[in-house]
Amino acid sequence: MKVMVYWGCVVPTIQYAYEMSVRGVMPQLNVELVELENPSCCGTPVQSVNILAALYLAARNLAVAEKKGLNDLLVVCNGCHLSFSEAMYFMNQNEKLRERVNALLKEEDLHYSGSVKMWHTVDFLHDMVGEEAIKNAVKKPLNGLKLASHYGCHILRPSTLRTIDDPENPRKLDELVEWLGAKSVPYPEKLDCCGAMLLLSHPDAAFTFSGLKMKAVQDWGTDALVVSCPSCQNMFDMRQRSAAATTGAKLNLPVLYYTQLLGLAMGIPQEKLGLNLNRSPLDELLQKLSDLLAPN
Amino acid sequence: MSLSYNSMTATDLMTSKKPESGLRLRVLGKIGEQKPYNCYQCIKCTSGCPSMKMLELKPHEVVALTRAGFIEELISSGIIWACATCLKCKERCPQAVAPVDLIIALRNLAVEKEVKVPESFLQNVSMILECGFVSRPQATVTRKLEKTDRDKLGLPGFREPDEKFKAAFMKALEASQEAGEQH
Repeated sequence: MKVMVYWGCVVPTIQYAYEMSVRGVMPQLNVELVELENPSCCGTPVQSVNILAALYLAARNLAVAEKKGLNDLLVVCNGCHLSFSEAMYFMNQNEKLRERVNALLKEEDLHYSGSVKMWHTVDFLHDMVGEEAIKNAVKKPLNGLKLASHYGCHILRPSTLRTIDDPENPRKLDELVEWLGAKSVPYPEKLDCCGAMLLLSHPDAAFTFSGLKMKAVQDWGTDALVVSCPSCQNMFDMRQRSAAATTGAKLNLPVLYYTQLLGLAMGIPQEKLGLNLNRSPLDELLQKLSDLLAPN
Repeated sequence: MSLSYNSMTATDLMTSKKPESGLRLRVLGKIGEQKPYNCYQCIKCTSGCPSMKMLELKPHEVVALTRAGFIEELISSGIIWACATCLKCKERCPQAVAPVDLIIALRNLAVEKEVKVPESFLQNVSMILECGFVSRPQATVTRKLEKTDRDKLGLPGFREPDEKFKAAFMKALEASQEAGEQH
């Protein structure tokens, strides 16, 4: 199946491991990714400054996708997913607004009609690709691993928009983890926010959010934290040391993208999944996995 | 709904300041006028707010202060920048008030009035005007501290949107300055 893909800002400019692992796993699931012609920022970073400009940016990218002509759009970043959901909602609800935004889009010969179906990595893999295809693609099940899943706020709430799962008790990422043979452990801090959106105004508070969550996940005795949002990955993985320094916690928690984990279970070489780019202490986990995955 | 918002008055007992109803109407216009008036101060938003624990943000107070008209006080207090936009208040409000939407509207007004806006928020906008995204591809290092980047990792080239985009985005920024209400 052919699916358009929107990468956003964070993934193609610094969170390369996410892009590499998505590009790595999709062909093996018979998914062909189709790039958009002329994408831009999704609007989320502008929302606090100017909400109409943010809506315009979101609608612009959806219009760019419409022009490409395929039905399905994969949005890998949670922030982008929320921005697009909001745009869809407001553009659908408010005709005056839709006309105003479309007048702006005309400058670039674009038009928003709302015909694209949007997916996030988690619900795309869970609902579109599905259990059977994923289980079939797993060459070496990750039996014995205990993992904590982190969804990220912006794909879960508010449920009045197009979100991907139950807002208070999401299950899809947990099931995806379990389809690989690993155990997804329940933990009370599951819905806790990573704090990424506070980095610009209150970095210490942001690192306290992420530090406290990681401390909890670590104390529950899990092998790793599994995420599916580049901003959460930035907080938990790339900036784990800042979180440790801010909270005074001894953090030693491997953090990786679900698509990296899926790739490992499929037998894709580590370097193709960007596993050398994770800053969190992954080596021990990878060693454990390679023993697990080694041919008998 | 036809509540006479303008006739409602309150006075800040510490400063003896009267609220400004014009600003209140502008903020209310941005989120659907009647929403904050549906709030019955059950404090469900604040009790689940992660920024309450860390930064003493109280979403129910933001709603109450807006209703009373203390908009200038809110946008200059800096508290509106303590929200992590986790959206729990919006999900859980039994009256569909969505304090987070109100906070974003107040931030927009703070930008418009040029009061106390964290610099980086504005830098994002200028970066998007410059290259279409909040960042260009950056060099990075592996866990073993080897330098690498998009090209070396074998990822396809990164394309920025063209000049036409910049003109259109500029127009979008200007258009919203003129309009009081959006949705």
